[in-house]
This record gives sequence, structure tokens and C-alpha cells, in this order.
Amino acid sequence: MTGQTIGRRALLGAAAGLLAAPATVRAQSGGRVVVGTWGGDYQDLLTANIADPLIRPQGIEVLYDVAVAPPRKTKLLAERMTRRGTFDVACLSDIDMFEMAQQNLFEPPTPELVPNMNNVIEALRKPYALPHIYSGKVILYNPDRMEKPTSYADLWDPKLRGRVGLSDGLYIQHIEAAALINGGSPSNFEPAKPKLMELKALGARVYPSNEALAAALNSGEVWATIMWLARGYMWKKAGMPIRHAVPKEGATPIVFEKAVPRNAPNKANGWRWMQAMLEPSAQVGFAERMGYVPTVTNAPLPEEIAKEISFTPEEQANFVRVDYQYIADNNARLLDWWTREFKG
Amino acid sequence: MAVRQARRRAGAFSLGPFLLVPASLLVVAFLVAPLAVLFRYSFNRYSPREFMIDAFTLENYARFFTDSYFIGVLTTTVRVAAVCTVVSLVFAYPLAYLLARTESRWKSALVIAVVFPLMVGNVVRAAGWMAVLGNEGIVNHALLSLGLVTQPMRLMYTPFAVHVGIIAVVLPYMILTLQSVIEGIGRDVEEAAANLGAGPMTTFRRVLLPLSLPGVIAGCTLVFILCMNAYATPVLLGGPQFKMMAPALYDQFTRTTNWPFGAALAFILMTSTLVLTILGTVVLSRRMHYRKLEAAPR
Repeated sequence: MTGQTIGRRALLGAAAGLLAAPATVRAQSGGRVVVGTWGGDYQDLLTANIADPLIRPQGIEVLYDVAVAPPRKTKLLAERMTRRGTFDVACLSDIDMFEMAQQNLFEPPTPELVPNMNNVIEALRKPYALPHIYSGKVILYNPDRMEKPTSYADLWDPKLRGRVGLSDGLYIQHIEAAALINGGSPSNFEPAKPKLMELKALGARVYPSNEALAAALNSGEVWATIMWLARGYMWKKAGMPIRHAVPKEGATPIVFEKAVPRNAPNKANGWRWMQAMLEPSAQVGFAERMGYVPTVTNAPLPEEIAKEISFTPEEQANFVRVDYQYIADNNARLLDWWTREFKG
Repeated sequence: MAVRQARRRAGAFSLGPFLLVPASLLVVAFLVAPLAVLFRYSFNRYSPREFMIDAFTLENYARFFTDSYFIGVLTTTVRVAAVCTVVSLVFAYPLAYLLARTESRWKSALVIAVVFPLMVGNVVRAAGWMAVLGNEGIVNHALLSLGLVTQPMRLMYTPFAVHVGIIAVVLPYMILTLQSVIEGIGRDVEEAAANLGAGPMTTFRRVLLPLSLPGVIAGCTLVFILCMNAYATPVLLGGPQFKMMAPALYDQFTRTTNWPFGAALAFILMTSTLVLTILGTVVLSRRMHYRKLEAAPR
């Protein structure tokens, strides 16, 4: 009879083992990483270039928290006082990331945690985040309907009355462009206001999303817009009748960055994700499909792609230097003006 | 005597009030407490660098009531809600009457058809309207094909699109509320009115409408509240230029990260919805009361 019965200790041991099993399995499997990101193509490319080839083989489970940037910023702020947040990695544009970093939300990356950050382009380095991909602000136009523009000022040509479309989400970029042609600077957007009101009088239309603007460009409702070169590359690849022109005022770079929040539940995996995203293979994958330029020096692009999405050394030298502090300090006020005066 | 004692004993140990505890705790934890926190935030001060500064100031409320833009947003919201409520009442009543009175074997199918849109989210429904009202949508395609217009009419991103979208969302609520009340009104009442020489319109005006007024009040209240708080439809069909209160306060929270002002907007929206709903209910209830007095035998 002995050995056939289940003793009290054995029963308790088995119960404890069962309770601990999920944690043990997760620990053995490398745990998980929660990435707060945009959806659509961007998420697909994260999976194809980072999650599947570089993270999952380490036994790490990848979860996405998909949303546009504003709700992600709100969640980061709402969770700032909690011990465990949602994200292990938060994806934001450089402007949004700076705004959030002011609240001291992120762990500083170091080469010990992310050895690949040694390869990051010097100009793109930040103490609170790592750059994932970048592009620049250009003019997209329909070559069948208009001459190639050379300056943002060309969009104010009365010949384009009612044919200029603007994406609502890029309001800061439109304000900056108008400021640059009306005596303003990256640190003074005030001159943009009267200039944009002129554009409004010329029938410029505001579209609620980049997708709605793309449909208008495709149908011929809109002939010109201000947009990221990478978007233009994607739209052109999709068969839309557009070309791009780098304005003589200079292209403004846009960097999409990632950071590990201080309250990330799986911080170590957050850093593993950062290391993976800076791998040359992952960087080139994004360039080929989305048209964003690698942020590392060791990921050369095939020449035909580089020609389409990169900026020449002269254009890079003429890049507009973004004043993040000015934008962070004035964003609410400028958005207020944009909503009430320009769109109203 | 024994029964009374047993009742008293049962009363002494009644579990009734305790059964309310779990639900009350849930409401306090997930509704009252967050609202209290939000209310406190509405008195704080916004700073771009420090995000939110602890304070006790009325400046967020003062900003709203002294700013013509936000007063305009509230006015637009109330106007849209009122128009959509009235239009949905007018559209819903005949359908609700038909559903209540029909003895057809298709009645269940008709009720399911009314309920069916509720199974689809507001965003999906708005996407459907985009396909209908867009420049290359069904309406413009038909107008162009018939030669009624030479170029597409702008239907999307207009107040018209918002009204259509919201009415489509709230119509099932109005129909179902009215149907349940009309079903409770005996058909013999209408027959009695007809026997006394009342035509269909008189029967509706003097008999059916007064008797169904509780349903009208309930339906209008429900629909008005839904319209006042509409978010997805104004954003997707109204476009960037069209502003109602819910999208405006969402913008304050997410795009400008001005939580104190966003919280103030939330409480102004909540209060104005509550006040207008109570006002409407009181007015309609009084009307119902007078109707009863008029109809009472003298």
C-alpha cells in the first residue's frame, strides 16, 4: 500500500508547483516584451524585421499595444506614478518623445545595455531614447498637374487654389513650413500664422489623417502637400501619381524613436528589443518597405533605394534643426491656434 | 403570531441591503473615484514643462465660459444632439408603431433587423458612411451617373454627414424604447377613438401620443445623452473642422496633454447633459400631466 497514496506534503508540493508553473515557463522562455506602437505597416514591419527574426528566437514573447501616438503619450503620463507600467518599449516621434522625456519617464540607454547604439548616427543621439528610423519633410506634388516646386512658398501660388491638402496630424510641420517662408525660424513660429491664413484663403483643405490625404492625392482632388519623404515613397510605390521636392528652406528631419520607460515591467527585454531594432538587417528591412532611412552607420542601402529615400550630403547639410524645447513649450498654444483659427 | 415573529426575524437578518454592496463598491471604485480624481484635476494648472501643477483655481472653467470658441463647440454639440433626437423620434415612431402592432410572422425578423446595427461598432458604421458619402462613394456615383451634378458633391466632412451618422447610431435605441411602450397601449383604445369619430391623425394626436409620452421621454433622454457624448461619428464623418465636446476634450487630454482643461471640459459636458436632460424630462412630464388633466372626466 505504501507509495500508492498521495501524501499531504506531495499534494501541497504539487499545488505549489502548478501555481509556479506559468512563471517558471515564462522565465525559461525568456519572458515577454510589450511594445507600444502604431499599427498597420509599421507593426507588420516590426514583426517581420525585429520580432520574428531577432526577438522570438531568444524565447521572448512579443506583445503589441497598438494605438496612434496621442493615446500612448496619455498612457505614459497616466502611469508615470505607478510601479509597473504597460510598455517595455514606447515608440514615439522625436517631438513627442522629447515632450514625454521632460517628465523624466524614460531610462537612459547605455552601450552596456544596447551595444548597437555605438553605431547610431551621431546627430540622432539623445540621452533618453534611441532612434529607430528617420526621414525628412518634403513637398509631395502631382507632376501631371503642376511644375516641380522649389520652395514651400510655391504652395501659396494662386494657381494651386483649392488644390493644396494638409494632414491634420502634421499641424506643427505645416506651421513650421509657413514660418520658414515668412521670416520665422525653428525657434519662432509666430510669423506662420498670417501666412497660413493666406493659404486658408486660397482654399487649402485639411484632411483628418494621412490616409484621407493619400486618397485625395490619388483622386486628383489634391495636387500638392507637405509630407515625409518616406510616406511619399510608399505612396509612389503604391502607384500614386506623385513626386517629391526638397524645399530650398531645407528638409526638416523626423526621427521615430523608441524608449524604455522607467516603470517597464520587463526592462531587460526592452533593452533586447532596442538592440535588435538597431541590427543592420532590421534597419534595411524598414527602408525597403517603408522608405525610412537607417539610423545606424553600418546598414548600407541598395543604391536604387538609397536614391529614392535618402538625402544628398548637401540636403543633409541644409536640414532644419528642430528646436524641441520651443515646440514642447508652445505645442498646446499652436494646436489651439491651428484648431480654432486655421481649421475653424 | 408565529408568522409575524418569523417575518420580524427574517427582517432582522435581511440580506437585501447587503446584496447592493458589491455593485455599489464597483460603482464607487470604477466610476465615482475616477470622477472625483478628474474633478480635482479640473482645478489644477497646466504647464507644458511640468505637465500638471497642483493648485486650486477656477481658471479652466473661466477659460471655457469666456472663450467664444468653446462656447461655440458646446452650442454645436447641443444643437446636433437636439436635431438628432427630434429627427430620430420622427423616424422611429412610425417604425416602432408598426413593430408594436404587427402580428406578422416576420415580426421577430423585423426586430432583429432593428437591433442588428447595434451589433456593429460606431467606428465600423462610420466607415460604412464614408463609403456612401465619400467623393467616390455611392451617392456621388449615382448623382454623377444620373447627370444631376458635374463634379462630386462634398458630403463627407460636413455637418450633414455627422447628423446622418449619429441618427443612424441612435435610431435603434429610440425604436426599441418606443416599441415597448406602444405595445403596452391596448389596441382597443385606438378602436374606441375611431368609434367616436376620430380620424387616424386625431387618434395619434389625442390618444396614442399622450399615452406613449413616457416612452417618448425615455427614448429622447437616452438618445439625447448618446448624442451629446458622440465621439467616433463626429471625428470620422465631421472631419478636422467639425468640433463637438467629446472630441474637443479628448484633444485636450491626448494632443495638448492639458489634463486640467480637459477635465474641466468633461465636467462641463457632463453637467450640461444632465441639466438639459432633466429640463427636457420636466417639460415633457408636465405636458403629460396636463394632457391627463385635460382627458380626465369633468
